[in-house]
Amino acid sequence: MNLAAFQTRILSAKSKLFRFAFRLLDNEEEARDVVQEVFIKVWNGRERMNEVENWEAWCMRMTKNLSLDRIRSRQRRAVDSIDDHFDVSTATLSPHESTELNESMQRITLFINSLPEKQRQVIHLRDVEGYSYNEICEILELDMNQVKVNLFRARSSVREKLIKINAYGL
Amino acid sequence: MDSRQIESLLEKYWNCDTSLEEEKQLKAFFAAENVPPSLKETAELFSYFQNQRQRPLADGSFDANILKKLKQVSPEGKVIKMFSNVAKIAAGVVVLAAATYMVRQEVRKSYPAEVADTYSDPKLALEETKKALMLISKGFGKAQKEASKIELFNEAEKRIQGKQDVKKVISNI
Repeated sequence: MNLAAFQTRILSAKSKLFRFAFRLLDNEEEARDVVQEVFIKVWNGRERMNEVENWEAWCMRMTKNLSLDRIRSRQRRAVDSIDDHFDVSTATLSPHESTELNESMQRITLFINSLPEKQRQVIHLRDVEGYSYNEICEILELDMNQVKVNLFRARSSVREKLIKINAYGL
Repeated sequence: MDSRQIESLLEKYWNCDTSLEEEKQLKAFFAAENVPPSLKETAELFSYFQNQRQRPLADGSFDANILKKLKQVSPEGKVIKMFSNVAKIAAGVVVLAAATYMVRQEVRKSYPAEVADTYSDPKLALEETKKALMLISKGFGKAQKEASKIELFNEAEKRIQGKQDVKKVISNI
């Protein structure tokens, strides 16, 4: 694969990869670094690209793995540091989200950010990016049943919270 | 699409039974302006998904930077197989053949060469054998003569030793 083919085939998926990395890391700069790392890895392994059936799913899986590596090292750092007592998984809004999104969007962002990690990944891949169940299985390395259960729980949880908010203003 | 169809599709959606095509229909429905108020919260959710989907990697220099980096990255060395399987087998056979040849050579060296007939006429052979034996016996005779001289020396040594013993006895007395 030459650089031009790489640009049209792989680089065009950068926003999808970035959104997924951002969903997991909740940090724009880190998400951008992850995407860059993925592209460099893909470029280095371009000789094997012909063996890959779905290169986009393959890139997404790499994005997930690299992002989770970063989360793990971030958690290790937080545990190591005496000053960092806060819970890193607490659902918060990034500065971009709090300025760019309106109130209802901010609410839903918080609901989604507060979901367990797997549910958050599945709902993003299905409802935001529109991947098929098979592709989600490939990206997340889960079986079909796990994907569907996680998606069902994620959608139900967000729906419940939305209904409560709209009915009681909670 | 009427409201009944939407409700049935939504029911399927919440149960995760919708296909990607059906989900596209729902997205299109909620992207339109005239969404009934009863579906307000669902519309908000779909609007959120739409909003997220449109979020690009907003960095104008990203492509240029990444392409620059990729040009710098040296291409990963391609692993070239030095020997194909056929070549490996051929090399094995050659080594085996060489080893067999060398072992045979060693074994041959350790055995004397076969005795071959040198004369076709038995009389001539007898004469030559006699000659050879005479030569050997001559050699033996000469050797015996020389050996007798050694015997003389031995005898002389014994005598001298005997005299020395007598002297010792006398001196002891």
